[in-house]
Amino acid sequence: MAGVLTGEGQRVSRAAADVVRAEAAAVPVPPAVRRAPGRREGLTAFLFLSPTLLVFVVFVVFPILFSFYLSFQQWNLFADDHAFVGLANYGAVFSDPEFWQVFWNTTVYTVATVPLNMVLALGVAVLLERRVRGKRLLRAAFFTPVVVSSVAAGVIWRWVFDPNLGLANVALTAVGLPAVDWTANAAAAMAALIIVGVWKTFGINMVLFAAGLSAIPSHYYEAAAIDGARSWSQFRHITLPLLAPTTLFVLVLSMIGSFQVFDVVFVLTRGGPLGATKVLVYYLYEHAFKFFDMGYASAVAYLLFAVLFVLTLVQVRAFRNRGAVAV
Amino acid sequence: MPPSLRRCAGLLALLLVGGCGGGADGPADGRTPVVFWHSFVSSTIPALDSLVARFEAEHPEIDLQPQYVPTGDALVQKLITAVRSNTAPDVSWIHADYLEDLVAADAIYPMAHFIEGPNGMSAEDLADIYPALLTYASYRGTLYSMPMEATNLGLLYNKDLFREVGLDPERPPQTWEELVSYSERLRLDRNGDGRYERIGFMVPVRPGTGPDGPWMVWQFQPFMMQAGTDHLVNEEQTRVLFADEPAVQALSLWERLFDLQNQRGFTNEYQSAFVSGQGAMMLDGPWSLPNYPRLLEGIDWGIAPLPAGPVRPATVVGGEYLAIFRQSAHPEAAWTFVKWVTQPEVQAFWSQRSGYLPIRASVTEVPEYRAYLETNPGLKAFVEQMAVARAQRPIEYSALEIQRELAIAIEQATVGTLDARTALARAAEASNAMLARADRTPPSPAPPETTAVTTARR
Repeated sequence: MAGVLTGEGQRVSRAAADVVRAEAAAVPVPPAVRRAPGRREGLTAFLFLSPTLLVFVVFVVFPILFSFYLSFQQWNLFADDHAFVGLANYGAVFSDPEFWQVFWNTTVYTVATVPLNMVLALGVAVLLERRVRGKRLLRAAFFTPVVVSSVAAGVIWRWVFDPNLGLANVALTAVGLPAVDWTANAAAAMAALIIVGVWKTFGINMVLFAAGLSAIPSHYYEAAAIDGARSWSQFRHITLPLLAPTTLFVLVLSMIGSFQVFDVVFVLTRGGPLGATKVLVYYLYEHAFKFFDMGYASAVAYLLFAVLFVLTLVQVRAFRNRGAVAV
Repeated sequence: MPPSLRRCAGLLALLLVGGCGGGADGPADGRTPVVFWHSFVSSTIPALDSLVARFEAEHPEIDLQPQYVPTGDALVQKLITAVRSNTAPDVSWIHADYLEDLVAADAIYPMAHFIEGPNGMSAEDLADIYPALLTYASYRGTLYSMPMEATNLGLLYNKDLFREVGLDPERPPQTWEELVSYSERLRLDRNGDGRYERIGFMVPVRPGTGPDGPWMVWQFQPFMMQAGTDHLVNEEQTRVLFADEPAVQALSLWERLFDLQNQRGFTNEYQSAFVSGQGAMMLDGPWSLPNYPRLLEGIDWGIAPLPAGPVRPATVVGGEYLAIFRQSAHPEAAWTFVKWVTQPEVQAFWSQRSGYLPIRASVTEVPEYRAYLETNPGLKAFVEQMAVARAQRPIEYSALEIQRELAIAIEQATVGTLDARTALARAAEASNAMLARADRTPPSPAPPETTAVTTARR
């Protein structure tokens, strides 16, 4: 019996999928929906969707394509005409040492933020799965930073990390630790950014993990308990494998999110000190909306897209090879 | 289902039309609307309200509509968006750094268009305005905007703390050496951990690449001027001047003050640090004056001229400039306001309420205004300092990028580990490369009337 549970997650997840399918089949479905939609109904549906589609095309699809076009142009946003410059923008980005610095900074931020974020989110989600007093209140409290405006949060944290007046240094010195030069020390400023980044985003991952946890049928745990599995081995052999699809989703999303970090940097550190917390999107912003070099900024945007695309492919592939996800 | 289809289409049409409506097509009362974009801080808004009320009382045919736009990056971003989408304001605050792009896009009128028009401005009136302000209001010698107010930078200091360490509160530092020695006297390490809980002069360092970078550069400039260089760039616009000896001396002073007091990076708000007694001296401008009675309650504060450098006493002149947009439907009404605001009596009125300095030297000779200055020593100090206020030659190519290089150098020499000379040399090298690459073809075809009114390049 224990062999089934400790075997590859694939078998278990297939069993879980069967359960889901069986449950879905049990729900009565109105026959009308089953019928292939006629052309007229398709048109009706399209018309109902059209406001959303219109907004989507105008504000999402068009900018994406236009920005790709712009990445081969030189344009200052003011002028009516833009000049085709071929791959010159991409070449200029690659030969700018600052680009490589911000790329490195972004990588450091991501490598630190994503694992911290996921471990914390999963930990809190698992703890809140149990019977805890004030569970809803706690969940809401952990989720609050997600819905707080980034700018408001950034301003508050900026005061917390103020080297002279901030709460962080008051707290550190109160327990006998030395005060930290949060704004002048490169490593400390990056640490402050990571702390705020994790604080701001782990709530959403906690909710995703909680949803994933509640979808795991309880009889697996019951069976494991009968077999004498303790909570750690239950977590290791039931929770983690069954949670793999959620984990992949959270990983991909967090990775994309932290590569795109901007708002907190803009408010909290403004890229300082000495550019140590300057990230890719901040760099992009500076070229697009401060120096109005739209072609250059678009090239940066498409390089960022390429990096994220490759990273996401690698992650999906890695999970698929372990058999956790059917993609 | 034709009826429901029709309803859908109707709803869609409504959505589309609803989204596009709502344009201002002139007021019902027949007054001419003039939209005025500005970035006045909240403490100046009551003064602005009284200015608008006075204008509308004198010009009942015009409906002046002030609209707040955050300053810095946001203002130029909104101006560009507005010009591109054909929704530019009639008149807006602008900054000398934006003129390069605004003129290239032919977005604003040269002032000669109005000055030589039917409702023109006399040569005497124009000559009464501080030349430094007209320099900033111009691009490549052509006047494209009009100053609305003047500012400069002075030294705000805490007399209580001066007394506490045995300094004469009525004798603020007169020289760079005194600025250093006073700071040494005023710094205080209460718990002996090698960090100062209180410092003397707060070096206004901010992240060089952040939105406050140009602000930091502006605050650095009086120190360059005191050491002998007024300008960031040479007259031919081919070489930056901030790697030369005067700028190196100025940045070395900042570096020395920063290190001497072990100033911990940048604080968010130098003003808050001053209020809480963590710093005894800071740079500030007259726009803060209306805020002081409330902000500095319980502090015996004073405003002093900036300490003199090795060459001369000096401060930097600043101001806000009004430009009229070509997309305006009522450029003449906009000009009526711009011209009105430069009048001596309006300048005196505006200065007394806003704390800004008048743009004309003659206002300070009006007895009523002189009497007011005697009751407001802070404003008086700023007004008197206009005698040593100097203007910087605007950078005509890549102005924002070049200022950013200088801002980074300032940060490297203070917060970072580079010495002033090395940091400035690196910034100058990068900036000179930008100037070498600059496209020096003249801006958009100049309208014939622009030739008449030009300002001397300093």
